[in-house]
Amino acid sequence: MAELTGRVYDIQPFSVHDGPGIRTTVFLKGCPLRCPWCHSPESQLFEPQLSWIAMRCVGTDQCKDKCIKACPKNAIEYGETRKDMNEDGTVKSIVQQIHVKRDLCDNCGKCAELCYPKALYICGEDYTVDALVKKAMKDKAYFDSSGGGVTISGGEALSQMPFTLEVLKKLKEKGVHTALDTTFFTPWENVEAVMPYVDVFLLDLKHMDNEKHLGMVKVPNTVILENAVKAAKAGARFEIRVPIIPMFNDNDENMHATAKFCKEQLGDEAVEFVQLLPYHSLGVTKHLRISDTPVAAAVPPSAEKMEHMKEITESYGLKVVIY
Amino acid sequence: MYKFREITPRVADYRYQIRNRVLTYDSERGEIITEAYKRLGAMIPILKKAYAQHDWAEKCTCFIGDTELIVGGKGKYMFSSSGYPECGEFGGSMNDHWIAGLVKSGLWKMQDDGFYHSPDTALAPARIHPDTLKKMDEMKEYWKDKENTSDRVTASLPDFYEELAGTAATSYLMPGQPGFIPPYSLPLGHLVAGYKKIINTGYRAIYDEATAWLDAHYGKLFGQDAKKYSFYKAIQITADAAMIFVKRYGDACKAKAAECTDEKRKAELERMAEDLYWISEKPATTFRQCLQAYMSYQVFHIAETSNPSAALGRFDQYTWPFLKKDLEEGTITMDEAQELVDMFFLKANCFYGIAPEVVADTTGVGNTWQHTTIGGVDPKTGEDATNPVTYMVLETVARLELHDPTISLRFNKNTPDELWSCAVETSKMVGGLPLYQNDEVIIPGLIKEVGFSLEDARDYGIIGCQEIVGCGNDFPAPNGCPPHGSAFWSIIFDMAINNGINPLNGYQCRLHTGYLYEMENIEQVRDAVRKMGYYIQQMFASMHCYAEEIALADNCQPALSMSVEGCMESGLDVSWGGAKYNSFGCTATGLSTVADSLNTIKYMCFDKKLCTTRELYDAVMANWEGYEDLREQVKSVVPHYGNGDPYADVEGKWINDLYYEICQTVSSSRSKVYKSGLYGASDHIRQGRITWATPDGRKLGDPIADGSSPVQGFDKNGPTAVFTSCACYDHHHYMDGIALNLRLHPSVVSNDEGIAKVVAMTKAYFANGGMETQYNVVDTATLRKAQEDPSAYKDLVVRIAGYSAYFVDMSKDLQNDIIARTENQLG
Repeated sequence: MAELTGRVYDIQPFSVHDGPGIRTTVFLKGCPLRCPWCHSPESQLFEPQLSWIAMRCVGTDQCKDKCIKACPKNAIEYGETRKDMNEDGTVKSIVQQIHVKRDLCDNCGKCAELCYPKALYICGEDYTVDALVKKAMKDKAYFDSSGGGVTISGGEALSQMPFTLEVLKKLKEKGVHTALDTTFFTPWENVEAVMPYVDVFLLDLKHMDNEKHLGMVKVPNTVILENAVKAAKAGARFEIRVPIIPMFNDNDENMHATAKFCKEQLGDEAVEFVQLLPYHSLGVTKHLRISDTPVAAAVPPSAEKMEHMKEITESYGLKVVIY
Repeated sequence: MYKFREITPRVADYRYQIRNRVLTYDSERGEIITEAYKRLGAMIPILKKAYAQHDWAEKCTCFIGDTELIVGGKGKYMFSSSGYPECGEFGGSMNDHWIAGLVKSGLWKMQDDGFYHSPDTALAPARIHPDTLKKMDEMKEYWKDKENTSDRVTASLPDFYEELAGTAATSYLMPGQPGFIPPYSLPLGHLVAGYKKIINTGYRAIYDEATAWLDAHYGKLFGQDAKKYSFYKAIQITADAAMIFVKRYGDACKAKAAECTDEKRKAELERMAEDLYWISEKPATTFRQCLQAYMSYQVFHIAETSNPSAALGRFDQYTWPFLKKDLEEGTITMDEAQELVDMFFLKANCFYGIAPEVVADTTGVGNTWQHTTIGGVDPKTGEDATNPVTYMVLETVARLELHDPTISLRFNKNTPDELWSCAVETSKMVGGLPLYQNDEVIIPGLIKEVGFSLEDARDYGIIGCQEIVGCGNDFPAPNGCPPHGSAFWSIIFDMAINNGINPLNGYQCRLHTGYLYEMENIEQVRDAVRKMGYYIQQMFASMHCYAEEIALADNCQPALSMSVEGCMESGLDVSWGGAKYNSFGCTATGLSTVADSLNTIKYMCFDKKLCTTRELYDAVMANWEGYEDLREQVKSVVPHYGNGDPYADVEGKWINDLYYEICQTVSSSRSKVYKSGLYGASDHIRQGRITWATPDGRKLGDPIADGSSPVQGFDKNGPTAVFTSCACYDHHHYMDGIALNLRLHPSVVSNDEGIAKVVAMTKAYFANGGMETQYNVVDTATLRKAQEDPSAYKDLVVRIAGYSAYFVDMSKDLQNDIIARTENQLG
C-alpha cells in the first residue's frame, strides 16, 4: 500500500494568532465551503494549482521566454508590462510580464520548474505524515517556552482524513500541543475521531442563520452547529472565530445569535474566547494569483464597528479578542 | 500591559528643545587648551594634559539651562560642540578646518541670529559664529605645524601597510583611496569609566591619595617610582581641576538663583548649588547628588579626550541605593525621581558633536555613544538585581522616544516577567531598544575568554555598539584604527576564490590561494578562505596593535585614570596598562554573506552539480551581468543560512568558528586577549558599496549581511528559524558582542498575549545559548522602504490572523492598504 500523504499549501512558523503561544501552522489544501471573502482562495481546491505572482516576475526579456516555451498547452502568453521605479521616481525598468490562459492550463507545473524567481509556482505539495510532522516540529523549543504548538489549518483539514488524524496522533505522541482550525463542515465521525488528539479547536462560525449561510458560502450551517454542540458536550475546548463580513454578518442580530450560541449551547467551559476577525481585502491579491476572474473587495469594518461587535459579545460574559 | 508614567511639562519642554536643537560649534575649549599648550611648551604629555584640563576647569563657561535639574555642558551654549585642537583638529594635511571650508564655499549661510547655518537639508543642523571662525584661524596658526598621534602613525607605517591598504579588504586604506581615514583617527577611551567610584568616593579622597603618595616620595624617586611620579602628579592636578569644575557649577547655580524671581525655581537652583558644592569634594549622599556627580564626571572626563565613546555603565545599580534611602527617608517621591532620570538622559542628549555630513549619513545622526546598561545581577551574590530605576530608564527611553543613549538590558534566569514585558513594550515604542543581553552566556564567557573574576564578570556593561566590558576596571578598546575598523570578510572571500586578487581594484596580495575553477570540492574552497582569512585578519590586527603602541605613548588620560580600578593602585595611567583588565577586539560584519556564498558553491557546483565552478566564477567576476538566469537560480534554489536548515547552517558555524579561531592568535603588548565580535556598526551598507559581487547572487553595491543577522531577505521562516540558525555556533566566543536584529510585524505585539509570546521566544533563544537580540517593530517607514526596494525586504511577512503573505509580493495598492493598517495598530 502506498504511504499515506496529505496535500499542504503552506507551513508557517511563528504563527501568533492561530491558538495559544508560538505555533507552526500547517495549511492543508481543499475546502467544501466557498466563502466569497476567502482570504486564502488557493486553499479551496484540493488539486495542485499553478500560481503566478506578478511582483516576482523578472520579465520575459531576462528569462528568455522560458515559461512560454515550456508549456505543452501553449497556455502562457505575453501579458501586461510593469514599470519598476527608482527611489527618485524615474523608471528603473519596464518588465514584460506573462499571462496564464487558465482555460488551457492543466496545472502540470512544467513552467514552474523553470521559473527561478518563483513567480510561477505550484501551490499544493504532498507530504507523508512523518515528513510533515518533522517539519512542523522544528520549533519545539519555542512551543515549549510559550505554551504553543502546531495548528492544523486549511482549507478544511477534516476533508483530508485520515491524513489529518494521523498527523494529530503523531504530534500528540511527541508531546506537542495541537490546535485544529476547522469549519466543522464534516461528518460527526471525523470530529469524534480527532477529538482525543486536539487540545483546542479554532472553530469558524460565519452565520447563525442557515439560509444566509447556505446562500453565501454554499453549504448549510446545521451540521456545523450540531458538531459543535456534540463536541462541546464531549469536552472539547474552543476558540471561536467570527469573521466580520460587511453586508453579511456585520449586524447586531447575528452577533447576538452567535454569542448566545457560544454561551448557551457550547458553554463557558468549552469556549475559551471569541476572536472577532475584521474582514480585509487581502484575499484579492491571492485570488489573482490563481484566477483571472475578478473578485469584488468590500470596505473593511471600522474600528468602531468592531468595538461595537465586541461589546455585544462581551455582554454574554464571553472573553473577546479583535485580531 | 505595562503602564508608563505621565511626562511632566518640564520634561516635555526640555525634550522639545533637544529634538529641535541646532548644534553650535564652540571654540571656547580649543582656545583655552591652545593657550595652555603654548604656555606649557615642552612639558611631558601626561602633565601637559593635566594642567591644560586644570585651565579649562577654571575658565570654561558653566551653562545652566532655565529648567535644568541636572547640569553640565561642553561650553557656552546648550548645544555646544567643542573642538579638540590637541587631537589634530587643525593638523597636518588639513588646509582649512572643514567647517570654515563650508562657510567659505557658501554652503553654510548667514541667518538673522548672526550665525552661519548648515543647509536646511542637513541631518544634524549646526551653526557657527563669525567670531568663532576668526578664533579658529588664530588657533590654526599655532597648531598647523604641531605633530599629533595621527600624523605620527601615518609617518611611521610598517612595511606591510602598503599591501594591507592595497587589498582594500579592511578599513585601512592609502591616502587618496576613496573612503581613506588616517590609520589612527579615533582617540583612546572607549569604555565604562569608574562612575561608581566617583559617586561613592568623591574627588577629595582621590586628591588626598595622590598627594599622600607624592609626599611620601618627596625626593625619593627610585625604581618604578620615577614613572609613577608623573602619574600621581597628574592625578593631583586633575582631581583638583575636577573639584574646581564642579564648584564653579555650584557658583553658577547660585548666581542664577540670585537673579531668579520664581520662588520655586530659585529654591531648586539653591538646592542644586548646595548639592554641587557637596559633591565637588565628598561622596554623594542623595539620589539628586548621585545623578549630578555622575553627570559632572561624564562632562569632565569627556572634555579630556575628543569623542571617547564614554559608556555610562550600570546606571540603575549605581543610583538605586541612593533613591532607596531617599524614599525610606521620605525626601523624594517616585514621580520626582522619574523626572530626574528623564532630565539626566535628556542632558546626555546635549553632547552631540558636529560632524561632516558624510559621517552623519553613515553612522546615523545622533548617537553620543553613551551606551547605558541596566538590569543584570548583583556582582557579589549573583542574584537578580532588577530595581525600580531599571524600569525608570525604560520609561525614559519609551515615553520620550529617545534613541540615544543606546540601552542594553541584561537578562538572567531570574529576571521578573514584568521587566520582560516592559522591555517589549519599550521595543514597540522605540525601534531597536533596548538591546536584550543574556547574562547566562556573557558572564561565563567573560570568565573563560577574557579572564574576569566571577564578581567582575557579573558587573559587566556594554559600550559603543555592542562591546562587552568590565565597568570601571577595564581598558577595553583603545581603538587606534579608523572608526568601524574591521576586516571585510566578503572581500576576503572574493580574494580567496580569486587567487588573492580583489576583483574590485585588481590588487594582487602576496598570498595566492588559487581560483574557484581550480577547486575540486568544498574542502578546498574552505581551505582557501581559511588561509586568506588568517592572512588579512592577522595583518589587520597587527596594524591595530602597531598604531596602539604609538597612540598609547601619546595619549595619557589622567581624568579617566583617577576612576578606573587598578590605576591609582599601580600608579599607572590607563594608557600605560594601569587598568585591572586590558583587552581589545574587533568585529566582523557580514559573515552570513560568506556563509551563503559557501552554500552556493557547495550546493550548485558540488552537491547538485547545477553549474560548474568555472561558470559560477565567471558569473561572479562579471558582476552577474549576462548571467541573470544563473543568478535567479542561485537565489531561488540554494539553501540559505538563517532558516533553521542544518545543511546551510553548517557553513554559518564554520565561518564564525574560523573568525574566532583567528582572533585567538592575536594579542598586543598591553592585552593578551583580542575579543571577536559580530556586530555591524551600521557599516554593512557602506561595505556593500566596496565589495565586488559575491557567489550568493549579491551584486556590487548591494549591502552585505548586517552583524550576525542572515542575509537580508533570505530568512524566510520567521524569527524562530533565525534564532535556531544563530544558535548553531558557540556565543561564548564572541565577547566583543553580537548584534542580531529582528523585525516584528506590529500585529504580533498588539496585545498582552502577543507580548508574552515575544518574551517566551526570547527566553527560549537565550536558553538555547543565544547571547543578544533586538527587536524592531515594523513601522510604516519600513514598509515604504520595502515598497521602493523589494529585494532587501523579501522576508517581510504581513501577519493577520490566519493570513500571511510576503509584503513585497503584493500589489502597490494592497501594500498601501497594509501601511494604513499598520498605522492603526501602532497608534
